[in-house]
Amino acid sequence: MTLRLNTDFAAGLFGLLFAAILWFPRESMGRLSIIFPRAILVITVALSLALIVKAFTKPAAREVTIEGNPRRLLMMIAVLFAWWYAIDLLGFLLATAIVFFGLTWYLANVEGAVSGRRLVQWVPIVAVLIGVFYLAFTEVLSVRLPTGIWS
Amino acid sequence: MDMLLEALFSILTLEGLVTILCGVTAGLFIGALPGLTATMALAVLLPFTFTMSPLQGLMALGAVYMGAIYGGAFTAILINTPGTPSSIATTFDGYPMARQGRAYEALAAATIASVVGGIVGVAFLLLLAPPLARLAVVFGPAEMFWVALLGLTLVASLSSGSLLKGLLGGCIGMLLSTIGVSPIGGETRFIFGIPALQGGIALIVALIGLFVVPELISMAAQGRGALPESGKLQGGAGSAIGRMGRHIFGKPINLIRSCIIGQIIAIIPGAGGNVTSLVAYNEARRFSRDPASFGKGNVDGVIASESSNNVMVAGSMVPLLTLGIPGAPPDAIILGVLLMHGLRPGLDLFTETGVLTNGFILSMGFAAMFLLPVGLLGGRLIHRVVVKTPFYFLLPSIAMVTILGTYALRNSMIDVFIMLLLGTAGYFLRLIGIQAAPIVLGMILGVIAEKGYVQTMLVAVVDPIPWLRLVANPLSIVLACLVVLSVATTLLPGWLERSGRMAKVDSDEEKSP
Repeated sequence: MTLRLNTDFAAGLFGLLFAAILWFPRESMGRLSIIFPRAILVITVALSLALIVKAFTKPAAREVTIEGNPRRLLMMIAVLFAWWYAIDLLGFLLATAIVFFGLTWYLANVEGAVSGRRLVQWVPIVAVLIGVFYLAFTEVLSVRLPTGIWS
Repeated sequence: MDMLLEALFSILTLEGLVTILCGVTAGLFIGALPGLTATMALAVLLPFTFTMSPLQGLMALGAVYMGAIYGGAFTAILINTPGTPSSIATTFDGYPMARQGRAYEALAAATIASVVGGIVGVAFLLLLAPPLARLAVVFGPAEMFWVALLGLTLVASLSSGSLLKGLLGGCIGMLLSTIGVSPIGGETRFIFGIPALQGGIALIVALIGLFVVPELISMAAQGRGALPESGKLQGGAGSAIGRMGRHIFGKPINLIRSCIIGQIIAIIPGAGGNVTSLVAYNEARRFSRDPASFGKGNVDGVIASESSNNVMVAGSMVPLLTLGIPGAPPDAIILGVLLMHGLRPGLDLFTETGVLTNGFILSMGFAAMFLLPVGLLGGRLIHRVVVKTPFYFLLPSIAMVTILGTYALRNSMIDVFIMLLLGTAGYFLRLIGIQAAPIVLGMILGVIAEKGYVQTMLVAVVDPIPWLRLVANPLSIVLACLVVLSVATTLLPGWLERSGRMAKVDSDEEKSP
């Protein structure tokens, strides 16, 4: 998918917004703490303004191409954040089992409809994959993974 | 010399050699996965080193690094997809060779070149690092400020097409590095009332987010699968190795030149393996008697690319171990491990912990040697596993390991959220031309630049013009001049081109096979 977007303008605008977020809370800090971030903030604003000026005089590109399916792209982002939320809520093991299986099914649909038999065949594969990493982290590396509501 | 021998004996144990072998194999496997870089290989496998001793952990990561850079050549040759950015130049001639039924020749050439490159890099590191470490002692706050700035200007000019966007990325990275407790003032900054942010954004969390997550998103959007048909292995392995060995060592000038180029570029902080391999490839073609055959299956192109990018693995450790400046993005992970074990780059690394440092360097030499059996004997198997793994299993597996790795760092789900947030932002920033590399380098160099700048200003508090202290001695003046020169050499070609004084180079014609 190709979007009409002046990338110089977008980059400049992002730089200004990012600088603005960090600019306002600086008042409560001492000189030694703010001297460097303030200098970088000023440079960031200058670079952003230069990009915005360039966007109107000599723009680099007026369109961006998103390779692949935008719906799958947004779905993947949503799944990653949902995975994070679910781990806190349900614990690592249960959340990962649900999200991993669901994501595998969703992505496999790209190549065509997934039959019930294939889904059943995946269960041991997914279980082994999750189990190996779960045991590696909890037993070998002694990492206490979140247990969510089961704690 | 005693330290070197002691280091050699400390790694020549069954445990040590098995660690290196496993590291090389794991790195090879991940590096061969299209889209997974050496940085990602190190980031994903990092948690497995947490329970190891410092030397064993560093040996494992050094071997993973070496294996991953070499592994990128597999898919570059077989399916025209560089496994890591360092293998971009390998595709130019490797893939045409595979299409001509000379896949084994290309793989053999890549393997031999990688082994030689890796060993040469280690030799350079052993020779150059100790004197440079002594030089590092004379670097005061002002000098470190200029070194950080030099690294930033170089990466901004090298990593993307736009200097302005590269510099903006660097600034964003430097600002991200200021989140948390100030290193000099001791106050908390930009935490927006979130106590978990007091510790700042961990470098490794940012690395995983900015390098792995955009690839995951991209792979999901594209529904990328394996491409087994386009890269069949043909021809005998044994005869190809012999033929390539005779070709490489019969006319070693290409190999030597590429190794030297790789080493010079590796020392420059911020320049990665993709830069070294492209420059070495370009020089191999320029010095060739038959430049027209490049891009059509000339094995010298593969040799130049693969030898130079493997020299870079050990070579880029020179600025890392001496000044604490990563020579390439994967070195940032190694730096993280060093700091995690309480090891500070500089002269102490070669004196107080000399056995550990030399052991780490030597282990990379062994890792380079292990590339030969692992690469050649496991090539067919790795090819089959890597290319035929369905992407719908691959992608959730990588995502799971990424989440686990990030969480394990500080047992923090906030870190996982930051990783995902930075990764998602990184994907969209990449679309508008702001790459991940300048942001990460900004994060690393920002801390160094801030300490240098603020400490210099503190010393100069009674001076009439405090900032003049930044250029108060010859070394800092030289470094400041290098910064100006670096910016000038980046801007000059564009200015000359715009003013019509230099013909525009048709790079497409040169690069396309």
